[in-house]
Amino acid sequence: MTAVNTGISCFLIAAIISILPLQKIKRYTYIISSIGSLGFGLFALSIIFSAPSKLYTLNISSAFDFVFYGDALSGFFLLAISVLAFAVSIYSVGYTKDMKNPGAAGVLYNFFILSMYAVVLSGNIITFLISWETMSLLSYFLVTLQRDEESARAGLIYAVMTHAGTAFIIALFLVLYTQTGSMDLAEIKLYASHIPDTLKNLIFIFSIIGFGTKAGIIPLHTWLPRAHPAAPSNISALMSGVMIKTGIYGFIRINLDILQQSPEWWGITVIVIGAVSCIIGMLYALMEYDMKRLLAYCSVENIGVIFLGIGAAMMLKSNGLYTASSIALAAALYHTLNHAVFKGLLFLGTGSVMHATHTKNMEKMGGLLKSMPYTGLFFLIGSVSICALPPFNGFVSEWLTYQSLLSGFNSVSIASKIAAPLGAAALALTGALAAACFVKAFGISFLGMPRSSHAEDVKESSASMITGMGVLALLCLVLGIFPGLTLRVISPAVFSYTGAGIMPTGAGFLHIGGSLSDLSPAAILISIIIMFITTVIFIFIAGGKRKISYGDSWDCGIKALTPRMQYTATGFTKPLRMIFRKIYLPKRDLNISYIVKPFFLSSIKYSGEITPFLEVYIYRPLTSLIRGAARRVSILQSGSLHLYLGYILATLILLLIFGGN
Amino acid sequence: MNNWIEAYFVIDFISAGLLLTAVSMNALKRIESCVKAYTLNSWLLASLIFVIALMNGETHLYAAAGITVLSKGILIPLFLGRIIRKMRVTHEVEPYINNVVSLSISAVLVAVVYTSLSDAVFIEGFLKNVLQISIAVLLIGLFIMITRRKAVTQVIGLLFMENGLFLAGFSLTSGMPTIIELGVLFDVLMGVIILGIFAVQIRRTFASADLDRLNTLKG
Repeated sequence: MTAVNTGISCFLIAAIISILPLQKIKRYTYIISSIGSLGFGLFALSIIFSAPSKLYTLNISSAFDFVFYGDALSGFFLLAISVLAFAVSIYSVGYTKDMKNPGAAGVLYNFFILSMYAVVLSGNIITFLISWETMSLLSYFLVTLQRDEESARAGLIYAVMTHAGTAFIIALFLVLYTQTGSMDLAEIKLYASHIPDTLKNLIFIFSIIGFGTKAGIIPLHTWLPRAHPAAPSNISALMSGVMIKTGIYGFIRINLDILQQSPEWWGITVIVIGAVSCIIGMLYALMEYDMKRLLAYCSVENIGVIFLGIGAAMMLKSNGLYTASSIALAAALYHTLNHAVFKGLLFLGTGSVMHATHTKNMEKMGGLLKSMPYTGLFFLIGSVSICALPPFNGFVSEWLTYQSLLSGFNSVSIASKIAAPLGAAALALTGALAAACFVKAFGISFLGMPRSSHAEDVKESSASMITGMGVLALLCLVLGIFPGLTLRVISPAVFSYTGAGIMPTGAGFLHIGGSLSDLSPAAILISIIIMFITTVIFIFIAGGKRKISYGDSWDCGIKALTPRMQYTATGFTKPLRMIFRKIYLPKRDLNISYIVKPFFLSSIKYSGEITPFLEVYIYRPLTSLIRGAARRVSILQSGSLHLYLGYILATLILLLIFGGN
Repeated sequence: MNNWIEAYFVIDFISAGLLLTAVSMNALKRIESCVKAYTLNSWLLASLIFVIALMNGETHLYAAAGITVLSKGILIPLFLGRIIRKMRVTHEVEPYINNVVSLSISAVLVAVVYTSLSDAVFIEGFLKNVLQISIAVLLIGLFIMITRRKAVTQVIGLLFMENGLFLAGFSLTSGMPTIIELGVLFDVLMGVIILGIFAVQIRRTFASADLDRLNTLKG
């Protein structure tokens, strides 16, 4: 308990110092926050490896009290939040140097992290909802921290979406409460088996909509690509890395922990949602040239991967395959942690780039690797991890997801046999698209020549920003090489759901029970290193000594190479835009003006865009419907004070006449 | 000592005075006279409390009467007078409807209150009259707010409503605890100050004290 008390007091102290008028030292309070998250990290480990227990109860009244409850699942999410909060806090020391309103940012930042901790530790309905709303509101204020039109609009959409989601969450908790008569989550779990099946289905659907909005599944993702770019980068790292994971937490808590048994179609539904989110999310990420929007769409994709794992766990459990189910859930949780780490890293890297170049548009970058070598290296590590390439962490969790999905062949029902491999296929397609996407993201912004004056004369970020990114980059590697260690942290949470453990055989070695699949990322790393060294040696021996001469690239006889001759992000993704044009619905507009037709041109104007069909065909009709209804109601709201008073008088007289007797 | 109060229907007379001052608001044409009507109304309210204090012999009611005179009878009218001078508004009340219609509607309001509250038998005796009059004063205050254009007349309407409300509370409980009365009075005082500042601000922003201009604020 001392660790958590230290943690809480650190965050509170950091928040208080942020209010004080100490402009010079304000940004160093983030060091205190990082110590606080270390405290919470230690506390998380102690919760994971101890029996579920009530941590703290604050009695408000007989009907309602604050209960904080810790078990392996909440401990795991606590750990994920702490890991990212630690690195982001270090990064923020340098990042917030030129921030406009550092005081407000500091206070909101610290309370935002605390509220996320509160969400995953909540032990009863009231505590959960209050923490959840606090988290949503604080993140709303963080999104609108930069006071401009774009942030305000992003904040509005975020607020609307998140509150719509919260409405469903409240509804599902009300159903649980009326059916079990208890506010306490642990007690609800005891009585959950008495809930009739139709209501269970209702709870499941509500939890998909409610928590799915926060997590950002397709088609409820619309707030993500707006809110993430609007927030400062350290905040987007936290929001994308861990805040959307509280949606995952809530979903697992309700459907896997409290309701326990699920019919098969639940799992298949979740797999379908996961697969759709994966593919659509990644397709939209590919088309983005705004780096933060790209990463936001990529978060949708990763949430899809996590949902694939969760769906597989539910489906396999309903088929009686407990070991396979526990592997699937472990894969989902593993990917949750991994995504927190590498997406955090990528957002921080983007923050560094934006800090240096003052643009989010990657078509204006280029050649940054030379001026920002460390940021470039860490961004590359993040990109490789997110593409699920060994020896980094994304590979292990996606490999586990594949394994669990493919073991769906062993299930009895035909539906599962069909759904599982299709999910795996979707994941495979996503993997390929992700690779293309991050080749684009890294290649366009870091390689080549500077595309605009933004990318010239940039400076490497400050030491604390590099350290923050370095911590996460190192974690990408560690989580990738030592999957056994990570699974040891995950398995208590998984065990409580399936009753079957996943037995990791050694820190750097994985063995999937019941199949012939083994994985040793450490061996992969070593073989990569050996191959690299032998290649180098071979070149030196076979090639002998050669004179290295430097010269210009061949430029087809044109005088000099200019940045405009480079591959653009739009050009790079053109083939994919053609392949998937049924989804993108691309529009292009070519405007050529001639001096002498058809040989001499004076100018060519080309503009192209894709149609976000979910927004055009679902959200816009919906919003115009609501707006039309609101306009009809707004006749009552004339703006005349006298009319409003008239309403009051009319009401009073009616009450006197009809209520008096 | 109580005999003369009951013998000469003192309470009924004072209550009737309260109602009359409220009704007179419909016919008054100058803002200054409205403030005077309010002052009279407040003094009558205080004297009603004083008389009931004499009747029941409760000491805290004397304090209530004193505070009412001090705040509603002296401080608020002074403050209102200052606002009116400060805003340099024209002295006409400028109602939306003419006096005849206004007075008739007020009469209808009083009639509605009397008929609808005649069966409400939770209190008996002289206080029943007081309750009906208090509700009538409240509704007339609200009606004044609806039909007057200027911000200051709105404030006076609100103050009449508050007097009615105070009277209603008084008639139902025969004097609330002193601390609550103090709280309510302080509330009103603050409310009037804030509304006064608002009125001045509205005048400054819209170059007019008419509340009609406020609907340009609508989104």
